[in-house]
Amino acid sequence: MTALAAPPPATAPRQDTVDRVRAGRRRRSRRRRVVVGVLAVLVLLAFVASLALGPTVYTPLEVLRVVLGQDVPGAEFTVGRLRLPRASLALLVGLSFGLAGVTFQTLLRNPLASPDVIGVTEGASAAAAVAIVSFGLSGAGVSVLAVAAGLAVALAIYLLAYRRGRVAGTRLVLIGIGAAYLMQSVVAWQLERATDVEIAGALRWLTGSLNGARWSDAVPVLLTLVVLGTLVLVQDRDLAASRLGDDAASSLGVRVERMRLLTLVAAVGVICVATAACGPIAFLAFLAGPIAARVVGPHGSLLVPASLVGALLTLVADFAGQHAFGTKLPVGVVTGILGAPYLLYLIVRVNRAGGTL
Amino acid sequence: MSPSPDRPRPGLRIEDLTLGYGDEAVVHSLDLEIPAGRMTAVVGPNACGKSTLLRSMSRLLSPRTGHVLLDGRAVHSIPAKQLARRLGVLPQSPIAPEGITVADLVGRGRHPHQRVLARWSAEDDRAVAAALEATDTVELVDRAVDELSGGQRQRVWIAMALAQQTEVLLLDEPTTFLDVSHQVEVLDLLTDLNRSAGTTIVMVLHDLNLAARYADHLVALSQGRLYACGSPAEVLTPELVQDVFGLPSTVMTDPVSGKPLMIPIGRHHVGTLV
Repeated sequence: MTALAAPPPATAPRQDTVDRVRAGRRRRSRRRRVVVGVLAVLVLLAFVASLALGPTVYTPLEVLRVVLGQDVPGAEFTVGRLRLPRASLALLVGLSFGLAGVTFQTLLRNPLASPDVIGVTEGASAAAAVAIVSFGLSGAGVSVLAVAAGLAVALAIYLLAYRRGRVAGTRLVLIGIGAAYLMQSVVAWQLERATDVEIAGALRWLTGSLNGARWSDAVPVLLTLVVLGTLVLVQDRDLAASRLGDDAASSLGVRVERMRLLTLVAAVGVICVATAACGPIAFLAFLAGPIAARVVGPHGSLLVPASLVGALLTLVADFAGQHAFGTKLPVGVVTGILGAPYLLYLIVRVNRAGGTL
Repeated sequence: MSPSPDRPRPGLRIEDLTLGYGDEAVVHSLDLEIPAGRMTAVVGPNACGKSTLLRSMSRLLSPRTGHVLLDGRAVHSIPAKQLARRLGVLPQSPIAPEGITVADLVGRGRHPHQRVLARWSAEDDRAVAAALEATDTVELVDRAVDELSGGQRQRVWIAMALAQQTEVLLLDEPTTFLDVSHQVEVLDLLTDLNRSAGTTIVMVLHDLNLAARYADHLVALSQGRLYACGSPAEVLTPELVQDVFGLPSTVMTDPVSGKPLMIPIGRHHVGTLV
């Protein structure tokens, strides 16, 4: 490679301007670190609380000893076998939904373009329902089919929304909502066919539920999150640059098309594997990004904060679903109650602004 | 300010360039030389291919045939980040993310200079500070971009491009949507940049008279082909305005700058004075 030319000799800036720029940048990154730190602590607290609290209450020390694998009579079964897999799965799918949701919303520059609104999670659910009810599959087979279906739906709506060399956001969202309905009817059809024994398990494909969570459900989610989640996180800065528009991002040296393809496919993988484990938890992916944006402010990346918000929402909503109401509610019902008003708010706001979605 | 960059800035060379979208060719086998260290304005009627040409020069669009050469090397073969450290582009309608502050937006211009892990250096802070000073936006640093006026916002976007510290800067209609005083302000700012840092500037402009006044080199496109190029005095003639824009006009010498000044002749004022 030939030696790079030196940058043009910019006139030296005044020191007080440099100081001002540096101070502002430090202030912003400090705020961000504090917010991310607080979110992480809240997630940890929610995780410990969902292990310790319930019909039988254990002390944090007992919980810690169970987690560390020590023998604690009584707590070992309730905390170790029942609550720990459930809380771990909640944590992992929460991170997955939050990460994938905000990735879609950022790349497609539209808060409605979240994978659970535009049919990607519904596609994964439909495939999982077909795999379980019609083919009697379980485990990895279900995950693979769910990812394949999620990718197929994502590709289909992308191609259908493609016109004259570009993808219009509003068009993509409308087509995606249509795809979501189509996929939901596949789930409903599978539920019709399910036997009484299967139906309890298959119902999760409607709203998402962590009932009966096992370690074997959590493992593929963890592996996917480690591999594909890292792939998304590496694109973090390019993703932030793409918020300035494709042309501006490209002029900053981002290979926009390649980055978008790579990141979207990775995000589809992350959310579809999570969906295969617990069903399409309603509005979770849709809510996490905007809430993270609200608490972090307009600066810097939303990937990590939105993942943490997703985990927090899932843990709290599942805990509330189990204990706060007279009857046990699946986590998706609780997040649905939270998400629907926000969707309405978003639509009202868009209408008032008179802009497009 | 003296027009003496310590070393020559690269120019751009366009050879046999054909560009298009879908089945349609927009620019037809164009040959063009963009002089190094000067200000070039590209003019022409709507849909003549001037924005398309600029997009291709910044590699936003791949050529059907031909090359765009920067220092003798095809821009499409230069790695994206390396190119972004040498050639900056201000697109026609960049998007300011909701609530982003001026300091943050200008800082984005440092993107091609940063690595994945080692993020901000003192050099980055200095570049941002210099860009803010050059565009007179220091006082705006903590303001949100979406609450600025049109002229301020355009200065901030230019500051972002300056923070990128490139040797070549391409601007697609940098004065659109600005009132006349802000148009002049932006063009004065680009002239300062050209004179002080020797940056090669290429801009697409709508206003022929402003183009003639500020550009050292004027390029007129018509239907995707080069109609004329050269100094404004050579290029801006009544014949060109008639052929390229289909507008009868007269051209006189601008009493302020000594550059050519085009005066359109509409259907209602023919022959009253001329």
